[in-house]
Amino acid sequence: MPRVVNGVEQMVEIEVDEDSGPGWGPNDKHKLLNQRITRVDGPLKAAGAARYTYDQRLPGMLHGRILRCPHGHARVTKLDTEAAAKIPGVKAIIQAPLTELRFAGAPVAAVAATTPEIAGDALRAIKVTYEVLPHVVHAQDAIKPGAPKVVEEENNLQEKAKNGDLKKVEAAFATADEIVEAEYTSQRIHHACLETHGMVVDYRGGDTATIYASTQGTFTIPADAAKELGLQQSAVTSSVEHMGGGFGSKFGIGVEGMFACRLSKETKAPVKMMLTRYDEFVMAGNRSAAWQKLKAGVKKDGTIVAMQARQYRLGGLGQGSQAGQPFIYSMGEAYREIYALHTNEDSSVAMRAPGYPQASFAAESLVDELAYKIRMDPVEFRKKNLRDQVYHRQLDRGAREIGWSRRNPVAGGNAGPLKRGFGCAVGIWGGAGNNQCKVALTVSRDGSVVVAVGTQDLGTGTRTYTRAIVAEELGLGIKDVKEQIGNSKLGGANPSGGSTTAPSLAPSVKDASVKTRLLLAERVAPLLGNPKPEEVVFADGKVSANGKSLTWREACAALPAAGVTGNGEWRSDLQSRGVHGVCFAEVEVDVETGHVKPIKMVHIQDGGLPLNRLLFESQINGGMIQSLGMALWEGRVMDAQLGMQLNPGFGDYKLPGTLEMPEMAPIIDDDDKREAVIGVAEGCNIPAVGALANAVFNACGLRVRELPITPDKILMGLMNSSTSRV
Amino acid sequence: MTKSRDDEQDPKRSGHDPGRRKFLKGVGIAGAGAAITDHLWTEADAKETQATQNTVSGETKIVLDVNGQKRTVQVEPRTTLLNALRNNLEPAVTGPKLVCDMGTCGACTVLLDGKPAYSCLVLAVDAANKKITTAEGLGTPENPNAVQAAFVEHDALMCGFCTPGFVTTISAYLKKNPNPSLAEVREACKGNFCRCGTYPRVFEAALAAAKASQA
Repeated sequence: MPRVVNGVEQMVEIEVDEDSGPGWGPNDKHKLLNQRITRVDGPLKAAGAARYTYDQRLPGMLHGRILRCPHGHARVTKLDTEAAAKIPGVKAIIQAPLTELRFAGAPVAAVAATTPEIAGDALRAIKVTYEVLPHVVHAQDAIKPGAPKVVEEENNLQEKAKNGDLKKVEAAFATADEIVEAEYTSQRIHHACLETHGMVVDYRGGDTATIYASTQGTFTIPADAAKELGLQQSAVTSSVEHMGGGFGSKFGIGVEGMFACRLSKETKAPVKMMLTRYDEFVMAGNRSAAWQKLKAGVKKDGTIVAMQARQYRLGGLGQGSQAGQPFIYSMGEAYREIYALHTNEDSSVAMRAPGYPQASFAAESLVDELAYKIRMDPVEFRKKNLRDQVYHRQLDRGAREIGWSRRNPVAGGNAGPLKRGFGCAVGIWGGAGNNQCKVALTVSRDGSVVVAVGTQDLGTGTRTYTRAIVAEELGLGIKDVKEQIGNSKLGGANPSGGSTTAPSLAPSVKDASVKTRLLLAERVAPLLGNPKPEEVVFADGKVSANGKSLTWREACAALPAAGVTGNGEWRSDLQSRGVHGVCFAEVEVDVETGHVKPIKMVHIQDGGLPLNRLLFESQINGGMIQSLGMALWEGRVMDAQLGMQLNPGFGDYKLPGTLEMPEMAPIIDDDDKREAVIGVAEGCNIPAVGALANAVFNACGLRVRELPITPDKILMGLMNSSTSRV
Repeated sequence: MTKSRDDEQDPKRSGHDPGRRKFLKGVGIAGAGAAITDHLWTEADAKETQATQNTVSGETKIVLDVNGQKRTVQVEPRTTLLNALRNNLEPAVTGPKLVCDMGTCGACTVLLDGKPAYSCLVLAVDAANKKITTAEGLGTPENPNAVQAAFVEHDALMCGFCTPGFVTTISAYLKKNPNPSLAEVREACKGNFCRCGTYPRVFEAALAAAKASQA
């Protein structure tokens, strides 16, 4: 396994020996894991008592705001802060390090003031003179010869990868009975975290600082913050008690954190810098848009023989992300070219299953088109071109759950203006963990149990399953264990990205629990007729061996004054990689208005040992709902002339809401018997977009290849096809 | 705008940017009128505004009735109720969240005399004579109300940032309609956004809370 030491990647051995400790045991034999334990921070959150970064308020704290460039590309020629600085309550104004700004929303300056209202006054009072430069915000324009250069030292279009043998692909196409060639585009969507990005820097001069950050990585904060504050990394503590959504966009201190630290350093006062909703839209991240030109050939028996892809990753100023085609499917001979294409927009950042929903939408649409072309059932067609048998099982189950037999095989074939249709798609993700979590589990003489690790709970249930693992191992109840998390002074932990938290954390917590159990057993052995530590049974709040039994408190009374602490390390044998999911959707398309109404969605997901069924199902629901947004409603709208976003707010950027929710069936695939923890958050957010798009086609006979599938596209498409339809 | 507030303005601020303040005051009053639909713009109001034309800038002390406690707080005329609760009250009331600050998401929902309102669209000075209830005032982690308990039981929350808003909206709605249908629940909280994707369980929780309250 590669590991970076001093910037050099090295291979290190992973300990996977048989004696590393007991495993999880069968998935259906757990008392607290794989059950429906309610989340332990639920009561705090429901009562409004959970403290988020945004809720931090410190004595003497200043409020930061960032001034943003209104042009797609411009140079700052003059920044006049004189009037702003004179406003009472304004304590500091600093200029952004860059004067050439390459997207509308790029930071120009930042202020700190005694109230957020005064900070807003200060922004309005800063006078900026810009030299406006040419910009380009649409991919189809950026690729044209003579288009304005987005990044000076790079071409707008950059080749990233070429895989496969084009000659073999062309030969295989010649053997196909049918060919489908199509372009699929997916839009730029926003993470739209309800808690915006930001932090509170508690620094008042001196040698130490505490950073309260809304982040997915407790340990991604101190190093960069320390640099900005001029402190040693070890003198900076980050704290992430609760956080209001990240979805891939919250790692590191970010530009806002840089400003917050600098303002705090200058004023020697705590500074709270939380982005406004506008800021959040224009520069806090977005999912890479995608433009994919695909071609595939199929035989009449349903075998896909060849695929050719030209994929553009549309990452704004960044490189974008997009999984390579043919994605999950076996398509015989395959050839792909991947390019990055720049526009004057803020860089895309990772978003839940980075690069996958985009690739999935195109691949699943293409597969569906091929199936219809040869008049084969889309479920059977998928099974024919998917080698992994897990998908076969999941597809059959999904078809039953959604009522696939109700589907009219003729697309658009149902009578009347309200047409029902069905679609399906499959998904894949890794979900393995890594060796970063250091867990300390302490049992005190009074019987209290505290498990400590610096990891963070994004709302995924980290706290809840951490407690449950400890409680189950020690034979206790969920309330008998307390956890301490979200602080960089605690044991190290990986940032929460790419479904890596559970498979990294859970094995480490399990290891700490096993070690603590054995330490405790050793201490109480004399009271139980001296059994071997492994023979002592911990169950139902009792510690027993040799027919003797102690209550938990009696057992703990035998501990030394400091109690016992088990230190847990990651065990690779307690986790695994590779998750599968399928999604089925039923929609109703009103062909008179173009309106798409989702009726029902079913998502079946495996994930090894489900740590908590309630929370796992919530993850699946979340994946389906976020996919609904991408499929039908959401999308950044850029103005080509102004180079700026036209919908930077929830009034114009359509998030899924309560009225649009279909019936939802989140189903955990219990046929997966792997006794290992695997991350599931990404996997739940991949196939639903394709399933919905395919259901729209089945309903109305119109293939919408450009997301989101809005009424205008349906109406225009139906109008155009009605004149050319057979 | 009452006399007592005018009398207590901070003299240090009185000379500060008067033109802008006048402008903001105008916007503030218009905003408040739009936010509280039952507020009637009377001639008396207009006269009072005239009379205080020169004296409303700067901070002023008001009393807010928050979760049953009368609390004095220093605000500007333009300070929203949301910001007053979160930034000006000491100690702060942070159940209502600042998410969009423009009345589109519902995370800042509070009850004004029992009716749900987006506190980011209400000026603090206009809430002075109303009973303000936030999620904290509906129940506590140890002693939750039926809706809060059902949210936990049904896992109707993930990151939890939208949760106080949903809980507040639904708690008020169930008082009005103790036995709602699923469609009515959806309609009741259509002004609240969740990004994690908890809606199906929010509906379940609301219906379960209604049932529990009737039992």
